[in-house]
Amino acid sequence: MKNNIRVERAIKNITQADLAELIGVSRQTINTIESNRYVPSTVLALKIAHVFGKPVEEIFMLDETD
Amino acid sequence: MKTRFLFPYWCRYIGWLLIVIHIPIMALKKMEVGNSFQGYNTGVNTALFTPDHLFFIATALFMAIGLFIVAFSKEKIEDEQISQLRLDSLQWAIYFNYLLLIVILIFSKDGAHILFLNMLIPLAFFIIRFRWKIYQNNRLLRKDENLR
Repeated sequence: MKNNIRVERAIKNITQADLAELIGVSRQTINTIESNRYVPSTVLALKIAHVFGKPVEEIFMLDETD
Repeated sequence: MKTRFLFPYWCRYIGWLLIVIHIPIMALKKMEVGNSFQGYNTGVNTALFTPDHLFFIATALFMAIGLFIVAFSKEKIEDEQISQLRLDSLQWAIYFNYLLLIVILIFSKDGAHILFLNMLIPLAFFIIRFRWKIYQNNRLLRKDENLR
């Protein structure tokens, strides 16, 4: 699964730490999601989408291997 | 996130204390009996709390309980990525333990030591693997932050 959290963060001008605090996870978790080392649960994906005010599909997309 | 069956964060310090306490007690015993120390429960006394048995509780069991508490205490920020990591590491620990157990059972007949190792290895391996992964995550995070 791909995501463009990094881009969305840049648009909203918040750091990984800010995002982590907003949704109540560790900075490490945000970092592992951004670098595609961890696939978040639906709950977490929805929370992230909520922060950016966009539907989940605009932030997380399936890639060829999924 | 709700997590069940985990000790609070501060419990890990008790855990490490229990693990470390094992060393001075062991050293004292070694000093007392010298090089003739043969291991646990060598006596023929069948009472429940023989000195030998108490010594066993103060060392091996303290260590096992300590490892157990360290392994299953919460992280500072307990989220789903950490619990995923914990599960992963647990699986690795069980795999490793059974592989080792099978190999030892094939090549050795030393039952007492196998049991003893089996008590500590899954927990020890779990803690090492779990901590190593957290360390890696932290390192990658720092690297990432330094890029910007």
